[in-house]
Amino acid sequence: MDFDLGQDAAALRVRLRRLIDQELPDGFLGAFTDDPADLAVTQAFCRLLAEQGLLTVAWPSEFGGGGGSLWDQTVVREEMWAHHEPRGAQYMGLNWVGPAIMAHGTPEQQARHLPPIAAGEVIWCQGFSEPEAGSDLASLRTRAVPVGDTSGADGWRITGQKIWTSYAGMAQWCIIAARVGPGERHEGITMFLVPADAPGIEVRPIRSMLGPHHLNEVFLDDVFAGPEAVLGELGGGWAVIRTALAHERVGIARYARCERLLSELGRELEPHWGDLPASLHAAWVRALVQVRVARLLAYRTVRAQESGGVPDVAASAARIAVTQCDQSVAEVLCSALEERCLDAGSTAPVHGAVEDHWRYAQASTVSSGTIEIQRSIVAKALLRGERL
Amino acid sequence: MTPELPEEAIELAEAAGRAFDALGGVEVARRAEADPDLRAREVLPVLEQLGVGDLDPRGSGLALAAAAALCEAAGRVVLPYPLAAVLVDDGEGRPTAAIPARSARVDHATVVPSWRVGRLPTGTGTGTGTGGVGTPDAGALGSRLGPFVGDLTLDVGGGAPPLRDLLVQQALVAWTVLGSLGRAVELATEHVLGRIQFGRPLAEFQAVQFHLADAAVAVAGLRELAGFTLWRLERGGDDAIVDVLALRSHLLEVARSVLRSTQQLHGAAGVCDEYDVSVIVRSVQPALRLPAGVDATVDLLVGSVEAFGFVGLFPHGADLRDGGPDRSATW
Ligand SMILES: Cc1cc2nc3c(=O)[nH]c(=O)nc-3n(C[C@H](O)[C@H](O)[C@H](O)COP(=O)(O)OP(=O)(O)OC[C@H]3O[C@@H](n4cnc5c(N)ncnc54)[C@H](O)[C@@H]3O)c2cc1C
Repeated sequence: MDFDLGQDAAALRVRLRRLIDQELPDGFLGAFTDDPADLAVTQAFCRLLAEQGLLTVAWPSEFGGGGGSLWDQTVVREEMWAHHEPRGAQYMGLNWVGPAIMAHGTPEQQARHLPPIAAGEVIWCQGFSEPEAGSDLASLRTRAVPVGDTSGADGWRITGQKIWTSYAGMAQWCIIAARVGPGERHEGITMFLVPADAPGIEVRPIRSMLGPHHLNEVFLDDVFAGPEAVLGELGGGWAVIRTALAHERVGIARYARCERLLSELGRELEPHWGDLPASLHAAWVRALVQVRVARLLAYRTVRAQESGGVPDVAASAARIAVTQCDQSVAEVLCSALEERCLDAGSTAPVHGAVEDHWRYAQASTVSSGTIEIQRSIVAKALLRGERL
Repeated sequence: MTPELPEEAIELAEAAGRAFDALGGVEVARRAEADPDLRAREVLPVLEQLGVGDLDPRGSGLALAAAAALCEAAGRVVLPYPLAAVLVDDGEGRPTAAIPARSARVDHATVVPSWRVGRLPTGTGTGTGTGGVGTPDAGALGSRLGPFVGDLTLDVGGGAPPLRDLLVQQALVAWTVLGSLGRAVELATEHVLGRIQFGRPLAEFQAVQFHLADAAVAVAGLRELAGFTLWRLERGGDDAIVDVLALRSHLLEVARSVLRSTQQLHGAAGVCDEYDVSVIVRSVQPALRLPAGVDATVDLLVGSVEAFGFVGLFPHGADLRDGGPDRSATW
């Protein structure tokens, strides 16, 4: 057995850490803080990664990527998320919108959309969830009606409402799931690639504990989409969603940030480590073990991906462990910092990362499909006779 | 045995509940974040009308119960005011609060000009820890998890408050959070009854029912323990510190799981401030971290059990002490 990710991966990690160290301001907490300068940092960082061929290190070379392995991709994901995702909202495009367009897009769509994603120049948002369609995504009601004859050759008019759309306020493009034709549930769901500034689209921010710029409502009122906007087959949107969600569920290496914060916490507390309650010492080491297990489960998904196919059950299994780890680490970090965990911002302990992490972690068992839905995906697979 | 709160206490809590609802319920906490002066302008007069100034929870068992019931009502709307501390006035108009081991931090620090604060004793110490009169530093944290939390400059010359005052304040903080948790369970119940997914109310899914049941059982258990603790406090032994710390340590565990599951049952709405549950989760954080979080509280509890034992059907901790009467087997 061998759990070493290999020399290339190790070298890549060293390179990324050096860049992060050189390019990011001290105490960087990601693009979505109260400080607008942080957004600019991510844009500059994306450009730099793109110039150095690191942004799409693991995209296939035919799409302008570095042709790296899934393990390289894993390393990028880990290092980026561990350091508060310095690629900003662009990570969505790189992690799964790009791959979905590679898998389902026409050559024209690929030529149009992949280069700007690969350059980190464009922010995409994902319009799946609706007020009445959360866990039950297949009940979505947003509707696309063909202009002219029923073929859609003259384009579509999309009307409906999306909710919880991350980054919609700053996105240039939106991938929208809408219903076409009379079909029910999974039938008829179709994906559209629509510019976020198309007439008829209105974005309203939602105030949440995650902070500014994150969640939004998106209203679609008779939004025109040309025939070239359809991604994949008409009515074949569910397959795109499945691929997208599987990529998304493994795409965020939350365990890596947990591990980095536990490490930073150790350093922060080192001067009075001996004075801390014994239960906290125990909680800290147990959290380290939990983080390791979550990482290993995430690696199983990567191995499943290596052997082809959509690793959705493995992804759900990993997602359960990773999000639980996210939340329990958040508690350990807060408990260790005692009353100082309420401080936010750069003057707070661990440059405010603990407070930030705690707030984000509360949503981790909901975003990309709730933990209950992941559990039922795993359970159904087991009951079908599959093995984890 | 009468584990229920006395009738007078329940009546006070009902009147308080109506008054807090008239103020706007949880909306007051939302508004106070943008307009902190609202606490003195709108919240304080309501508390005065309810007779907070005349209620001394140290005076009698009935007053203690009434204060607890009042705090529970305040917790239901996460009332932006340090009610538990204010109820334990030092006789000179200063609220009393327990502070962390390494700082003099309290919630709503700037809402009064001066505090009487002290540290809970560790281990076998029977007196209070350090403390004194605290003057609020300018400003509050303003963070999403502690918008009103602030630090005090401590003048130890004034002397720490009596331990009993700190214990009563801590018990009342627990009652306040208990109110918030009870409300969170109600909100989750309402939400899953109303929200349809997969063609039926979420409430019909067994996984949802299990979450709700676990949360409700946890809150019911906490409520019993909170009542038991009042009774122990009323009896007034030195060892009441064990009971108050036991209550707090259980409170912290229950709060974590109840807030998590009630928020989870709301889906994404659970982190969204338009929904009361999200405001509740954020607003109770100071009470869960001050004066001590879960590990520090358990550490204090271990010390106090080693010193005084733990009351139950059998003796606990008696051998851990050097000498002294065995108070651990009182019944
Ligand atoms: C931070 C964040 C970012 C997001 N970003 C996006 C985005 O960019 N684009 C997008 O389209 N969506 C996004 N979402 C939405 C997300 O996909 C949904 O919130 C999620 O699918 C759950 O839907 P819901 O919030 O409507 O909860 P509901 O489906 O209403 O669920 C409420 C509760 O009921 C439980 N439940 C539901 N059905 C069952 C069942 N059958 N059995 C047992 N329990 C059940 C759920 O697990 C949950 O606990 C985001 C959400 C969050 C929190």
